[in-house]
Amino acid sequence: MPLLELVELSAAYGAVEALKTLSLHVGEGEIVALLGSNGAGKSTTLRTISGLMKPKAGRVLFDGKDIAGLHPETVVRLGVAHVPEGRRVFPGLTVRENIMLGASNRSGLARRQLDAEVEEMFDLFPDIRRFSGALGWTLSGGQQQMVAVARGLMSKPRLLLLDEPSLGLAPLIVQQVFRIIVRIRERGTTVLLVEQNARTALSVADRGYVLETGRLVVEGKPDALWNNEEVRAAYLGGRVVESA
Amino acid sequence: MAIFLQLLFTGIGIGAVYSLVALGFVLIYRATNVVNFAQGEFAMLGAYLMVVTTADLGLPYWAAIPISLAGMGLIGALFNLGVYYPLRHRSFLPVVISTIGASILLQNSVLVGYGPAPESLAGMFDFPGFQIGEVFLDSQYLLIIGVTILLVAFQYFFFEHTILGKKMQATSQDKEMASLLGIPVARMIMLTFVYSAILGGLAGILVAPILFVSVGLGSQVALKAFAASIIGGFGDVTGAIVGGLSLGIIETFGAAYISVPYKDAFAFLVLFGFLLIRPQGIFGEKVAQKA
Amino acid sequence: MTTRSIKAIPPVAPLLVIAALASIVLPLVHPMNGYMLNLFMQAATYAMAVLGLTVVLGYAGQISIAQAGFFGLGAYGVAIGTTMLHLPFVLALLLGVAVAGLLGAVLGASTLKLGGHYLAMVTISFQQILTLVLTNWIGLTHGPDGIRNIPRPSLFDVSLQDSDRYLALCLIVLYGVGIFVWWLKGTKLGLGMQAVRDNELAAEVVGVDTYRVKVTAFCLSAVLGGLGGGLFAGGFGYISPDQFSFNESVVFLTMVLLGGADAALGSAVGTALLILLPEWLRFLRGAYLAVYGLAVILIMVFMPTGLWGVLSRFAGPPRRVDHGVPDALTLGDPDARDGGVLLEIKGLAKHFGGLKALDGVDISVERGKVHALIGPNGSGKTTMLNVLSGIYRPTRGEVLVDGVKVSGLAPHALAAAGVGRTFQNIRLFHSLTVFENVVIGAQRPFNRAAETPAQVRRRALAALDFVGMADRAEVKVASLPYGHQRLVEIARALAGNPTLLLLDEPAAGLNLTEKQELVGLLKRLAGHGLTLFLIDHDMNLVEQMADRITVLNFGKRIAEGAPAEVLRHPDVIAAYLGEVPDDAAA
Repeated sequence: MPLLELVELSAAYGAVEALKTLSLHVGEGEIVALLGSNGAGKSTTLRTISGLMKPKAGRVLFDGKDIAGLHPETVVRLGVAHVPEGRRVFPGLTVRENIMLGASNRSGLARRQLDAEVEEMFDLFPDIRRFSGALGWTLSGGQQQMVAVARGLMSKPRLLLLDEPSLGLAPLIVQQVFRIIVRIRERGTTVLLVEQNARTALSVADRGYVLETGRLVVEGKPDALWNNEEVRAAYLGGRVVESA
Repeated sequence: MAIFLQLLFTGIGIGAVYSLVALGFVLIYRATNVVNFAQGEFAMLGAYLMVVTTADLGLPYWAAIPISLAGMGLIGALFNLGVYYPLRHRSFLPVVISTIGASILLQNSVLVGYGPAPESLAGMFDFPGFQIGEVFLDSQYLLIIGVTILLVAFQYFFFEHTILGKKMQATSQDKEMASLLGIPVARMIMLTFVYSAILGGLAGILVAPILFVSVGLGSQVALKAFAASIIGGFGDVTGAIVGGLSLGIIETFGAAYISVPYKDAFAFLVLFGFLLIRPQGIFGEKVAQKA
Repeated sequence: MTTRSIKAIPPVAPLLVIAALASIVLPLVHPMNGYMLNLFMQAATYAMAVLGLTVVLGYAGQISIAQAGFFGLGAYGVAIGTTMLHLPFVLALLLGVAVAGLLGAVLGASTLKLGGHYLAMVTISFQQILTLVLTNWIGLTHGPDGIRNIPRPSLFDVSLQDSDRYLALCLIVLYGVGIFVWWLKGTKLGLGMQAVRDNELAAEVVGVDTYRVKVTAFCLSAVLGGLGGGLFAGGFGYISPDQFSFNESVVFLTMVLLGGADAALGSAVGTALLILLPEWLRFLRGAYLAVYGLAVILIMVFMPTGLWGVLSRFAGPPRRVDHGVPDALTLGDPDARDGGVLLEIKGLAKHFGGLKALDGVDISVERGKVHALIGPNGSGKTTMLNVLSGIYRPTRGEVLVDGVKVSGLAPHALAAAGVGRTFQNIRLFHSLTVFENVVIGAQRPFNRAAETPAQVRRRALAALDFVGMADRAEVKVASLPYGHQRLVEIARALAGNPTLLLLDEPAAGLNLTEKQELVGLLKRLAGHGLTLFLIDHDMNLVEQMADRITVLNFGKRIAEGAPAEVLRHPDVIAAYLGEVPDDAAA
């Protein structure tokens, strides 16, 4: 049984259909990439899984249990952490406080245990340790991304939903972030990754799905997807021929 | 010099009350982006609860205060459920109008019960105060100043050093993200209303022996407190305190040196001045609109 | 100002006229008791002030909690003018109205640049200060005692001393005010107010000077408040400060909300109801203000559109209005030169704190061409469009349209200069009809294609016809499907006859058929010689449409040229698909 399975999921923003009967699955321990251009429905998929959006139809099975339409506070308690697009680091809290609040879904956590886990995160993301007392808004995009991922990991998720972790980051920083994603999987967390940056995403993923206007276009292994004309068309238009 | 110090003392005492009510404004505003125009009624209700418990029920002060504050907590919770919660997804205007409606409702409900004649509430201490040189330190004013200092310290500790305080801050900064982390957003907002109502009620209890307990007590204090929070910088906790103290001092000196009947107008004139010259206030909420 | 209203006379108008005439004549021939006369007099004068709130709150969406203050200014104007300055009644009334209007304008002008809660606060403060002044400036106002023996006027040698005659005067004025407020709703100014209320940013971008419109609405509201107050003073002969307190302002507010803030007739109904209600609810006498307060909350929660909104829901589908046969849409300035550079962007930079959203971008757009701006998320495209339409001021660099520097202008000034735009997340005036939305677009300042009101209407219809929406003109835009809303937004921009049209992701949220229709529409626009500058993520669309493409990444231009070469450019492919990190792969 896959850890996460979407069954004919549909969602809409008011009159705008964003997802149309989307089905996909993510196995325990996998890194799965969800690709497509802007407006393809990638973020909507994650928002529907984490409960920020209520689906119009279809099911979201997490560990065999239908979690579609549950409140986000409930979903994160079940073990799904969502690191949304734009990092959303609390601007008026320090880095340490931001990370600490990631454990809000786990009740009855002792303060000492909490502090120890925050230290663990600083071990995993050594670059942000020296900013632990700095307010969220003062960080650069890459540092904010690391805080956001660390905060997501503090909930001890079985499944981590990552939305556009490379957005607006310089190439070197993108590499750092993706190295961390690989490490997260090594620690036993399953990752569903939404990316516009197809090449980087496919370089770490086990499998990938490509969406176009809310529908699944193609799925497969990274190599197959990378060489697939449909994938290129989804990003760069139909008549662009292979180059580079 | 003695007169100056005496006025300064009185101004700080009154200003502290404005600060407490302004703090309540700011907390609710930060948590919900709603300007609660009924914040002053919390002060009025707090004072009347003291009248109920001490005068009507004959309870001693030490029992009446916690009971009144608990009552205020309940009122804050009901206020959230009745006035804010049903409108939480609507735009600014309906919610503001709804809180104005609540303010009228609360004032006039009390009016029906207690009539327009003001009630008086004895000071909390039997001794009038201290004479230091030519300056007289009234015990009730000292109490107000002391309690305000304690509360500000408590609030600082609560928001800066407890996890619950951090969760409330996170909620006011980004509700969606907070709920993604498993922070119960609705409960945090409820807590904010309860705490703000208690703060307001406490301000009312403290100021009641000085101002008389009347139905208009709330709007009188609330308008000044609101002006104070704009002067301090809307949405800023430090701004609310500084703004409240400044207004209290300006008002006291204005009444002493310029005009007694227009005492209440000074706050608004200062407010107009700020709106024209520095609308973001001393500590500066960003007024600029985002596209 | 365009002085014609697009409001059509409603079918119930004859009935209303008969009722109005009857209400004026009946008291004259069939005497009422003094108490009833007073009640009606109060209702009539209050209704004028409430109609003022219809303008400021209902039409323009700006809160004012000082209407009783303006009402009081009018009343004291008449009282002081007649009893102390011994002016004729009409002159005293004008004095009161002028003072109210002037203070309204000053108050509005000083705060309407700020957000809503500032305005609420300032109007309350004004109300409080006014009460203090009325109570304490005893030399002028007689303080809490108030002013007695305010005379009633004679008009055209007819004495209005008798209450029934004076009531007739009040009713005539009220009906005049009512018709004016109803008529105002369809004028250029009135539509501008509603545009501001529904979507302030969109209003600016189609050429409405939102600040001026808000101040005008505020001032008009104060004038109507003053007028009502002046007649109130004459009617009752005695006034005192407590009649114009904060509480009364709240009563006014409740009346307009209960009736339905954006309909003149609704406001009148709300006023009548709340003046008569306490009579019927005498047993509540002491508690009636508490009931008012509760009513306000309940109206907000359960009946946000007021009684009028609830009633009009039962009124059935909109009537078909015959707008005649649409003209063919003309686009562009017939005198304009051909070719050459229309839009020139020179070294444009926009920084947000440390973030360089745009970092020294140069782009030239040729007249009559379709130019596309593309780039990955966060590359600065939308920032560019916001700078071009005046929403952001550039940090450095300049923008020239037709050789004239336009950077730094306000959005409405840019619209007046001929720059139209649409938004990615469609911004229509959602409570108005399709036709009204497009009329507002056609009313942009200096629109040479629509200078008279008749031309404005024909222009709007032609624009709707061009996008294929002429048959939906009378439908409320909120009830349209998404794809049609996009077409209406484009029609709104076209109605303003822009020389340059900025399109912000026009294909976003459209399905495949709708996208094809959009491409067809844009191609027709290009065929008419309209210069288009668009951003979109749909590369198929961009490739089909664009004559030239500029690519942004991290706020900098990384490529520019014809579609085929740009989309094959290695840097562009890298920007979109990403580069393989050397050692990220596990």
